Amino acid sequence: MAEPILTVKDLRKRFGDFEAVQGVSFCMVRGEIFSLLGPNGAGKTTAISMLSTLLRPSSGKVVVNGRSLLTDPQAAKQAIGVVPQEIALYDALSARQNLHFWGRMYGMGGGALKERVEEVLTQVDLRDRADDRVGSYSGGMKRRINIAAGLLHKPQLLFMDEPTVGIDPQSRRRILDMVLELRDQGMTVLYTTHYMEEAEELSDRVGIMDHGKLIALGTQKELTRLVGQQETLRLHFGEGQLMNGEAALFEGVDGVLQVTTLADELVLGVTETTAVLPDVVAIANAHNLRIRSVDIAEPNLEAVFLHLTGRALRD
Amino acid sequence: MVMMMQKIWAMMWKDARVRFSSRSELLFFLVLPLLFTVILGGAQFGGDGDNRIPVLVVNEDSGEMADELLALLTASKTVRPELVAAAEAETRFGDNEHAALLRIPAGFGERVAAGEPAEPAVLDLTQAPNNTNAIAAQQAIQAAVGSLGQAAAAAQSSVMVAEEKRPFTTPTERAAYFAEGLALAQTAVAEAPQRIAVTQPEAATGGFDGAAHQAVGQLLTWVLIPLLGTSGYLAFERAQGTLRRLLVTPTHTATYLLGTVASQLGLGLVQMTILVLFGVYVLRVNWGHSVAGLALMLFLFGLAAVAFGVMLGAFTKTESQANSLSIMMGMALALLGGAWIPLEVFPQGMQTAVHILPTTWAMRGLSDIVLRGQGVADVLLEGSVLLGFALLFFTIGVWRFRYE
Repeated sequence: MAEPILTVKDLRKRFGDFEAVQGVSFCMVRGEIFSLLGPNGAGKTTAISMLSTLLRPSSGKVVVNGRSLLTDPQAAKQAIGVVPQEIALYDALSARQNLHFWGRMYGMGGGALKERVEEVLTQVDLRDRADDRVGSYSGGMKRRINIAAGLLHKPQLLFMDEPTVGIDPQSRRRILDMVLELRDQGMTVLYTTHYMEEAEELSDRVGIMDHGKLIALGTQKELTRLVGQQETLRLHFGEGQLMNGEAALFEGVDGVLQVTTLADELVLGVTETTAVLPDVVAIANAHNLRIRSVDIAEPNLEAVFLHLTGRALRD
Repeated sequence: MVMMMQKIWAMMWKDARVRFSSRSELLFFLVLPLLFTVILGGAQFGGDGDNRIPVLVVNEDSGEMADELLALLTASKTVRPELVAAAEAETRFGDNEHAALLRIPAGFGERVAAGEPAEPAVLDLTQAPNNTNAIAAQQAIQAAVGSLGQAAAAAQSSVMVAEEKRPFTTPTERAAYFAEGLALAQTAVAEAPQRIAVTQPEAATGGFDGAAHQAVGQLLTWVLIPLLGTSGYLAFERAQGTLRRLLVTPTHTATYLLGTVASQLGLGLVQMTILVLFGVYVLRVNWGHSVAGLALMLFLFGLAAVAFGVMLGAFTKTESQANSLSIMMGMALALLGGAWIPLEVFPQGMQTAVHILPTTWAMRGLSDIVLRGQGVADVLLEGSVLLGFALLFFTIGVWRFRYE
């Protein structure tokens, strides 16, 4: 097995009586993209805050690049780059000025810093706008500079906390490509997201978090194996049609393994969609339930989450 | 150590760029402080430099005694008489620009000269209501009348004694004797030896220099508010997420706080230097003669103020909350510290109580330097107290520091 760059053992964080992170353990090897997937409030940001030294763990061990985060945080910080969820930049400064400042905070200076700033500006494709104030940038451009600031000191391990929140699809695509490029250059990336598609596209391995616990961990193949050959059939109904007990109508259908109600949707875990669909439609019609649309999904991380928690990722 | 200094320098540069990214900042940094100093400092800039209280005078008595009274008032250090006609006086006094209107009635001089006639000599003084200048003007006029009456009484006594020995043959002879006696008495009063030996430090300006006091007070106010605003800057960094990002870099919390303090204090010192130089070279305000003493007091005042801001920043949640609190506290601390009006006018109990405020000690030390002509050795107590305040505030601020 490749050398671990990050080892997390029984990591916990309590806020009074509330335990936000409950005994999380995992390892990361060099050069992999590891995604922490989970709904909002699952404890991903708290976990990443502890791993980046911002929060002191209540208990547990974290070793980064052979250095304990608890006893030697300054050395560990040199190996870590952090791309926070918020745009943590100074709007009043230009992108270049921002990058120079953040570089200095990592102990860089002189010609080396100047050269590196130009490199990352090229990497995020914002060299031509580098002297404009960040405040004048679009959301996507700000996100790219936010990432650039975390790359300046060439970290061995990069933490990216939901870096695509609130941006347009084009900018999102650009950022995902950038993450893949970083991995290809040998960087190790810990990526948190609540977007299943991002985790599926980027990750070598995925950890699924819910209510502060790491409830599943593995490659996508390993995780989807947990739900067997189960496919997901998503039925969208008109507003207000689902009252109470409609889920029970479908539970006895041959081939239906699991039924979950989500607002105006019923999510069915099924063995084979094509075999089940006619019966499902017939039952809906018989009970005057008007189906507006149907989505069919192969086994995926969403199905895994549904299987493990009985809830959808976007609950 | 070198690395830490480089980071602190980078933070100072960044903070200055962020603060002055908005041009309106210059309004608060320089324009308003200078404007208020000019307005409240008695506007010596471009004026005749006469800060005495202007008093309108209507002279209905054409006699020498009335002229003598006017001469005494003109020589006063407190009031500046402005001789006007009766009609004009009424109009101008109604404009609320003068603290008092003095009318010298016809026959005033004769009655003063007569000593204690059946109808005593009475001046008619109209005062602007609730005006401390009017009270000061009344005291100055009373002193002048007293001096005039004293000479007249002496001349009158000498006429009576002379008459007892050898009666005057004509009223003219009597009047001439009185005039001669009055002149001698006035000379004697004027040349009377001082009964009070007034001693002031060589550098002191003598009397109360209102312009200098206002210059110090306005500097203190306008520098204090932005330094307390350090709390707002900390809240801004928290809200932006830049504070969290900074703390995940290999930068100690202490380095960050030192950098923030250094940048805010540095800007405060630049602001203070500009205000002092403007005061000295443009407004011709006296800033004392001890450059070292002044620099020491300004530095320690700035340090205590920025440490107060760091402490405030630990207890405030949002930038707007911190900024509002900074303005309110800055104004209250300036007022209670004696920056706007001298502490001497406060009740005794209040004068004692305000010693728990850093601004009181700053104002006391700066007044020692600027108004009393003292030096470093004389403000060591005030400086030490300010340093103590700075350490206390900074310790609480670091203890309660939070990044979100």
